[in-house]
Amino acid sequence: MKRIIQLFVSAIIVLTFLLPGTLLAKDKKIIVGGKNFTEQYLLSELAGILLQDKGFDVTLKTGVGSVIARKSLESDQFDIYFEYTGTAYTLYYKQKDMEIMTVPEKVYDWVKKADEKKNLIWLDPVKFNNTYTLMMKKSQADSLGLKTISDLAGYVNENPDELIFALDSEFWERPDGFKKVMKTYKFKLPAKQVKKMSIGLTYKALKEGLVNSAMGFATDGRIAAFGFVNLIDDKLFFPVYNPVPVVRKEVLDKYPEIREILKPIADNMTTEKMQQLNASVDVEHKQVREVATAWLKEIDAIN
Amino acid sequence: MNKLMGKTYRLMLMLIILIAGVMAERTGLVEYLSDPYEYPVIIELLVQHLYIVAISMTFATIIGLGAGIILTRKRFRRYAGICMYIVGLGQTIPSLAVLAIAMSFLGIGLKPAIFALSIYSILPIARNTLAGITAVPTSFIDAARGMGMTPLKILFEVELPNAMKVIITGFRIALIINIGTAALSYLIGAGGLGDLIFTGISLMQTEKLLAGAIPITLMALIADGLADFMGYILISKGLRLSG
Amino acid sequence: MSTIQFIIDNYAQVLFLSWEHIWIVGLALMIATVIGVPLGIFITGHKNLASRVLNGANILMTIPSIALFGIMLPILALVNLGLGKVPAVIALVLYSQLPIIRNTYTAIKNVPGPLVDAARGMGMNRWELLKEVQIPLATPIIIAGLRTAAVMNIGIAAIAVYIGSGGLGVYIQQGIDRVYPEMIMSGAILVSLLAIIVDGFMAMLERLATPEGIKLQRNILR
Repeated sequence: MKRIIQLFVSAIIVLTFLLPGTLLAKDKKIIVGGKNFTEQYLLSELAGILLQDKGFDVTLKTGVGSVIARKSLESDQFDIYFEYTGTAYTLYYKQKDMEIMTVPEKVYDWVKKADEKKNLIWLDPVKFNNTYTLMMKKSQADSLGLKTISDLAGYVNENPDELIFALDSEFWERPDGFKKVMKTYKFKLPAKQVKKMSIGLTYKALKEGLVNSAMGFATDGRIAAFGFVNLIDDKLFFPVYNPVPVVRKEVLDKYPEIREILKPIADNMTTEKMQQLNASVDVEHKQVREVATAWLKEIDAIN
Repeated sequence: MNKLMGKTYRLMLMLIILIAGVMAERTGLVEYLSDPYEYPVIIELLVQHLYIVAISMTFATIIGLGAGIILTRKRFRRYAGICMYIVGLGQTIPSLAVLAIAMSFLGIGLKPAIFALSIYSILPIARNTLAGITAVPTSFIDAARGMGMTPLKILFEVELPNAMKVIITGFRIALIINIGTAALSYLIGAGGLGDLIFTGISLMQTEKLLAGAIPITLMALIADGLADFMGYILISKGLRLSG
Repeated sequence: MSTIQFIIDNYAQVLFLSWEHIWIVGLALMIATVIGVPLGIFITGHKNLASRVLNGANILMTIPSIALFGIMLPILALVNLGLGKVPAVIALVLYSQLPIIRNTYTAIKNVPGPLVDAARGMGMNRWELLKEVQIPLATPIIIAGLRTAAVMNIGIAAIAVYIGSGGLGVYIQQGIDRVYPEMIMSGAILVSLLAIIVDGFMAMLERLATPEGIKLQRNILR
């Protein structure tokens, strides 16, 4: 009996130490976080590969929502992840100044300064703008004559029960999200016309005609591939979303080379390239790591 | 000693309720539930959830009961073991996996969700129907045959009533699992209260979390009581008291 | 088939996630056993407590898993442990209580009265009675309870991915997010395989633990 208890307890202790991850402890460890859509999976993989190439022991913790990612960074559970300037400005800091948020440099400087007080450092921004978009199938947009979100608003107000919309919960709730869009553009979609699902599924739902319009990301490769169009944000509601690696000050102080290591991404990534990479993963179903590695080799960032 | 246990138990219960109340207030749950814009959304989700549960349970009960009964008939008795084994295997498959597989084949929305849930709920009902009917003492059935009852009559007046307790237990298990798994159907685009829970998690909004988690828990507990009630009605008094 | 191709291509990640999954479930089961079995034994001696404990565990298991995660998150977030493996393991331990406690309780209670009397007649004290008679006879049923708990936990651990615990659920979650059918199927199949294997393994353990005499008894009755 005693032996069984001893065995048990030692098994528990051993198991606790074999916690996946702690076993292979190298010197330079870093946790790279990421959100739950393809572009984020790609960006975190890019960062991870670059860091690994320079000798870091990288752990990827991806697939969480924005707020969780942010909280994880603040509570030291992430060391670094790519955040969007517009998201930090409107969601975390709840700011609304249109003058600032529609100008890339201004919003970047604003959030950079604000986060310094929290010991979070914003490194070099990547130049593309991955804004939220409202998408429709080109065929339907053309037949209904809808080009801008204002057009959509007008149509919904006249025919409230016709259009069904797909979006994810985060977009619904955010201050730069759908509820606010409806307020700004003065239309109201009845609750039952709004279908909530995870981000990836919104594209699928729109493609299969289960909904008439869906939320999307501007740099998603599927927009072109599936024949969607983006409704024009004529009231300039959405802020600018440049992705920037945000790192904890403590980690940056320890490894100041991180800024240099990640520079190739900021220097070389464009909107078109991001769309291509996204499409490789989403449409051609290539693997994230494969696509990321291929691009890094293409720009000579790694051998 | 027992008196002390009783007192401690009651104290703990009161403490839990108190904490729950304070939590509800502080996390803005009460506020959220009475928000005039959110309220209809919550109700809508609740209705969706109940809809999914009701439809899938109906399918599952019909098929499960039917299968269980058929497998106890003379002709099919030998297949009972294999069938139960296969369906048992099916239930080892985690609920999330069943939903995900259904989505891969049937697309997104209500259809795959109801399909997956129906399949998932069949086993407890089928297995318990089978076990319950098999456990009816053969002496009863002999007596019934002796009295001249047709097989159909035997089924409805002897076998089923005697097996009812076990069948209802199976129904109860299936129902509770169903309610819980229906919460996951949000992930494949079918709505339901899971919406509130997953949104609450991803946005770290506790009031949403609780607004989703508590109704589901209450539903499950009510379902438990419902099953007891059904037992009360459907099981004849003699059996109930002896069981 | 493309799903198998996916698994082969990513075998390193597959192994890692499988290990994460097994780790969470294994740890939870062990802690649950350490808590549940002694508790089950204890309540055989206290009838009032027994019904209360069993009821409590029953209620725990009635709560849908995702709801339990939902309720635990804000509480644990106060100590910064809201996400990750910790709440997952805690939830799994709680869920495992009912099958383990109930089976332990039933198993020990079902040890035939005459045997207990005989043992007492031989002069065994409470501990010896437990050690030499009750536990060995109860073991197969306790293992059956562990088996139920194990299979259940594997399923719930797949859901726990949504509170950041990792494990094979990652494939299902990411697969849905990225609309990547091969990944979804891989996740679903791998978790199912794991559950089936563990189930079979524990069934074997159950049979091994059944003393020869009881096996004979069962075969005769059949």
